[in-house]
Amino acid sequence: MNFIDKFLVYVVLLPKAFYQNMGVNTTQLKAILKTKVTLGDRTPTGIRAVKKTNQKKPTSGVSFTQIFMSVFLGVMFMFSFFIGANYVTKLTLFFSMYIFVLASTLIAEFTTVLIDVRDNFIILPKPVNDKTVVLSRLLYIVIYISKTAFPMTLIGMGFMAYVNGIWGLFVFIVLLLLATLLTIFFINAIYILVLKITTPQKFKSIISYFQIGLAILMYASYQLVPRLIKQTTLDNYNLENSTLAMLAPPYWFAGAWQYLFAFEGGFKLVLCVLLSLAIPILSIWIVIKYFAPSFNQKLAMISGTSEEPSVNKSGKIIKSTTSKYLSFLSKIFTQKGAERMSFLHTWKMTSRSRDFKMKVYPSLGYLAVYLVLLFVNNKGDEGSLTLPEPNSFIYIFIVYFCNFVLITALGYLTFSDKYKAAWIYYITPVTKPGLFILGSVKSILFKFYFPLVVVIISLAYFLLGLSAFPNFILGICNQVLIILVIAYISFKELPFSVQAGNKVKGSSFVRGLFSMLIPLSIGVLHYFIRDFLPIVILLIVLSAIAIWMMMDSLKNKTWDNIKVQSDF
Amino acid sequence: MQPIISLKNVHKNFGEKQVLKGINLDIYPGQIIGYIGPNGAGKSTTVKILCGLISDFEGEVLVNGINIKNDPLAVKSIIGYVPELAELYDVLTPIEFLNFMAELYGLDESLATDRMTKMLTAFGLESVMHQRMDTFSKGMRQKVLIISGLLHNPSIIILDEPLSGLDANSVIIVKELISKLAKDGKTIFYCSHMMDVVEKVSDRIVLINNGTVIADGSFDELKQQQGNQSLEQIFSLLTQGSGNNEASEQLMNAFNN
Repeated sequence: MNFIDKFLVYVVLLPKAFYQNMGVNTTQLKAILKTKVTLGDRTPTGIRAVKKTNQKKPTSGVSFTQIFMSVFLGVMFMFSFFIGANYVTKLTLFFSMYIFVLASTLIAEFTTVLIDVRDNFIILPKPVNDKTVVLSRLLYIVIYISKTAFPMTLIGMGFMAYVNGIWGLFVFIVLLLLATLLTIFFINAIYILVLKITTPQKFKSIISYFQIGLAILMYASYQLVPRLIKQTTLDNYNLENSTLAMLAPPYWFAGAWQYLFAFEGGFKLVLCVLLSLAIPILSIWIVIKYFAPSFNQKLAMISGTSEEPSVNKSGKIIKSTTSKYLSFLSKIFTQKGAERMSFLHTWKMTSRSRDFKMKVYPSLGYLAVYLVLLFVNNKGDEGSLTLPEPNSFIYIFIVYFCNFVLITALGYLTFSDKYKAAWIYYITPVTKPGLFILGSVKSILFKFYFPLVVVIISLAYFLLGLSAFPNFILGICNQVLIILVIAYISFKELPFSVQAGNKVKGSSFVRGLFSMLIPLSIGVLHYFIRDFLPIVILLIVLSAIAIWMMMDSLKNKTWDNIKVQSDF
Repeated sequence: MQPIISLKNVHKNFGEKQVLKGINLDIYPGQIIGYIGPNGAGKSTTVKILCGLISDFEGEVLVNGINIKNDPLAVKSIIGYVPELAELYDVLTPIEFLNFMAELYGLDESLATDRMTKMLTAFGLESVMHQRMDTFSKGMRQKVLIISGLLHNPSIIILDEPLSGLDANSVIIVKELISKLAKDGKTIFYCSHMMDVVEKVSDRIVLINNGTVIADGSFDELKQQQGNQSLEQIFSLLTQGSGNNEASEQLMNAFNN
């Protein structure tokens, strides 16, 4: 344990006598807390868990990372103090950001923090009473939240103390505590809601989709907000007189601060004080009284203590999981045998592997953000969405740009948590392992690229008509060709056969640079010939021939070109 | 003699599915019970009830004269449980993990340190005592788990597939350890699918199927009842009838097309 964790454990254990009166065994409580904190410090969470690259080195200091990240986010909050005409506006923004960021980090990481299946086998069979277990869980949450919330607001506190003195700081801290309580209520409410609409088994995957959504949202707001709002509007922005703002909790906290700081202000500010005190306390009471009992039950269900993990026991034969669409695609576009098997295998693995989704789906979202960015008009007085002019090259650019998704997906295709299962490739009498790679690449193309292309083309058809089609087809052909070339050069392992996180840094950097430069330069070349239809058609033919040849050479890759993973 | 574990008419449902349909068992100190049954028979549910993990069952369970529903903590503190499937916090070192276990059992620190060091050394883990367990093999984790179940010197030891992942030498060590613990007056509850091991290790075999006890007695008694066969054959006869033979025939038939 590092000194921060030690200190926090020490602090939460201070009311020892009180805990003992409640019937809690404090020795066990301390033991559980110490262990949980150590586990937390050594277990990467959330998005970071997926990004963890080097598995050889034992993880530790997760607490420090967590604190550092929070301080960094806290710096971003400071932005709110530089806009708006008065403190009510500034603080409304500050509290909005604080509640939003805290809620989203906690939602994403609460499952890892709260749900540990192993507790059922390790702690519960021991002579530990329920109160001790419940309190240890609660205190651990307190420790966890303080490690996030305190550093996040530290800089804001410093600023408040400097500008508004000790009293201003004190009121600010009290209101931050109340806002934190309210946030915990929100998270609980969201969890309960998610559990209501879904089964506990699906809960974890919903939470991971939430994490993906969050990453995209953060990125989008970072990219878009400054473009949409102009500086001059920001400076004069005033929320104080808005009645609608009364509906937003951050406004209550801001108004309450304003009133308590100066002890003056109208009825509205007094109402803010009342709301900001009453609602958090009421909501935390609801959490304890109504949410907590059913919540713990549900959490126990997620933990998989249930005896029957939904194995089909009815004796009915479940139909094949290969959908008609998928089997149709595979029959038309792949050859029977290793190639088709690999196509279907990749399709299903990429839908079901949480690891793959966590890595690739955010980049799909980033792409969507970029696309929106392309349409955001910067020149107008106010940010607005306008479609680019009809004959603009932007649509073809987009076709090239989608390559980003493909390259990301391709880059992660060789990795898997269950890399050892790749023995199936090596024990079967397949002479051309290239078939596995070709099938896999086709799968990625059909799954992640062509649907996107269809959307873009139909959009273009409505705006431009048929005239742009040759250029589109050339763009798509080039794109497929590029992917095949990259696959041919960089695919040295079979799909899903390398231990996740075992990425070699150098080669992936070169690959990344190379794979971004090639499509871009081809895109630029395409730009210059776009108006010469005969050339475009000629190039389509050439590109198609090249695709055909590339597929052939990819298919004919032999075992000499493949790095066989011996580690299984 | 008073039984140390006594189950009277224990029922347990999961939703509509009845998992235990009235289990009656009296187990006496020093016995090694081989608890066997096909998948889904209710083995692990029984174990979870004994460990106090499931409390909403019907019927009565007395451990050492204590009703488990009234005082689960007293029961938990005399039971040592070694779960299946290496469930442990593997980012901890063996010493950290075992210290945690010791603290939960309220063991004296110096006593616990002394015991765990001796046990780890006996299992040949002294050199990795302070290394995180995420790098450990299955067998090494299993050894740590076994130690964690024995550390507080329990009078009842529940083992769920304790030999999985262990190498041949460690298997011998654990098997000998089990009979020595029983000689010492401890009660062993041994759950396993490995019939040959159960046949040799246990002095009383309890076979359950579909939530009821269908055979109970020493291996010799079972042989007398069912004809002179191996435990494996008796198991298949009682739980499957002649079905296994048919199944293998069907498997062979799959080649004929």
